[in-house]
Amino acid sequence: MTHPKSANVLDARYLEPPEPFVKTMEMLATLKAGESMLLLLFREPHPLYRILLQDGYRYRTEMLDDGTFEILISR
Amino acid sequence: MQALLSFEQAPPLNAPLRFFLTAPLFGVIAGLLLLLEGEGVLLSRWSPSALALTHLLTLGFMLQIMIGALIQVLPVVAGANLKHPRFLAQLVHATLSLGALLLAAGFVFAINPALHAGAALLVFSVGFFLLSAIRALHGVPSSSPTIRGIKLALFGLFGTVLLGVFLLVALRQGTTFSLVALTELHAGWGLGAWSAVLLAAVAYVVVPMFQLTPGYPARPAWWFSIGMTGLLVLWSLAVWLDVDLLIRLAKGLLALSGMAFCALTLRLQSRRRRAKSDATSRYWKLGMISTFLALSMMLTAAISPALGGLEAWSFCFAVLLIAGGIFSFMIGMLYKIVPFLAWLHLQYLGKGQVTAPTMNKLLPDSAMQRQFYAHQCGIVLLFLAAVFPEWGARLAGLGLMLSLLWLEFNLLAVVRRYRNFASEIAGSLVPG
Repeated sequence: MTHPKSANVLDARYLEPPEPFVKTMEMLATLKAGESMLLLLFREPHPLYRILLQDGYRYRTEMLDDGTFEILISR
Repeated sequence: MQALLSFEQAPPLNAPLRFFLTAPLFGVIAGLLLLLEGEGVLLSRWSPSALALTHLLTLGFMLQIMIGALIQVLPVVAGANLKHPRFLAQLVHATLSLGALLLAAGFVFAINPALHAGAALLVFSVGFFLLSAIRALHGVPSSSPTIRGIKLALFGLFGTVLLGVFLLVALRQGTTFSLVALTELHAGWGLGAWSAVLLAAVAYVVVPMFQLTPGYPARPAWWFSIGMTGLLVLWSLAVWLDVDLLIRLAKGLLALSGMAFCALTLRLQSRRRRAKSDATSRYWKLGMISTFLALSMMLTAAISPALGGLEAWSFCFAVLLIAGGIFSFMIGMLYKIVPFLAWLHLQYLGKGQVTAPTMNKLLPDSAMQRQFYAHQCGIVLLFLAAVFPEWGARLAGLGLMLSLLWLEFNLLAVVRRYRNFASEIAGSLVPG
């Protein structure tokens, strides 16, 4: 799945916890320096934000009309 | 599950649990009051016993769970960390519980010092919680409808307490305002600006996450909390200015907003991707239908106020909204939160060496389903009691007691299993 914002997209909107977290960490581990990934969720993942900041990632979140949060993560 | 809750930010297990395990006991006391006093409680909504019953349910059960849940989820859904959560939970829980008991006793036995001491403790308890929550949320941007909703709900709680204190002073010293209008406004702030706004804010996160439904559309989600709070401000102004038509308009619009939220949630639930429904989704569905019916009664009464003046009408409305609606949402959430927290702490105790048992092992769906039947029977009995108090009141009291004792039993079973698994895990960890 690709998206104008990033080539690496994880659509975790209909996944049960803890799958969104586990899959996000898996995808992050595959990113090379300068690459990004886009996480789609129906909520803002505040605990993930903390981990991202601790691990030196940057993120930008946008809420869409259908309630999807697009979280663009890069390092 | 770290996506739901990051352990480092999580308060200790007993911080929210003390609230969750105490709340059903207040429901049991409320049931006992109904059983002992019988129809006398339901003859007038202004009777001291009716006021005691209302506060046992709203403060003892609802507020207890809402504060316990907020202490747990503020870091998760808003990224806001409460300082010293263990101390905060102990202090707020003790003062809230004692305050609610004293207030109820003050009403039932007409002991003014108990009433005033209860109110003072409640003001302290809620005030301390509000200050802690505001401090945690300070500097947190309202980046989602959930965060905005929680902030506005806290304002709603403040308004509710303020009006409660004003009512108590007015009862003692008299007022130029209508006491009936003030009491309805106090209930409106408590149920609309606090409870409904908070429940919706939390629903935006938990309904899609646990029931695998589509998300709530952004526009209505952003506007619901502002609309509800604005309408309560309008209602307050209308009481202040004594404009009956404006009061009815605000009530009618509040009812319509709530009905729209229920209809939207039911629509999302009908599009869920989880094939099998669980106890929480059944509880939430019942809650939405019951709230929708209650709010259509509120809308009807706003159009023809004579109906709203009937005692049976008011009690039926309260049964559908509080027992059928808000209680159902809360019990449904408890059945997700309590096993989950126990699981999370077991996972932590296992240190990656021992896997925690599944949540179903901590609380099987069948146990929740049986209690759900008791809850439904309790609502039917309460509804019948509202219409036929002479023979229905005591039976409804018994139903309420049974349903909430069962809830307590289920929650305590999770704690017992948690302890057993915790000692098993401790025994199987490799030292060092």
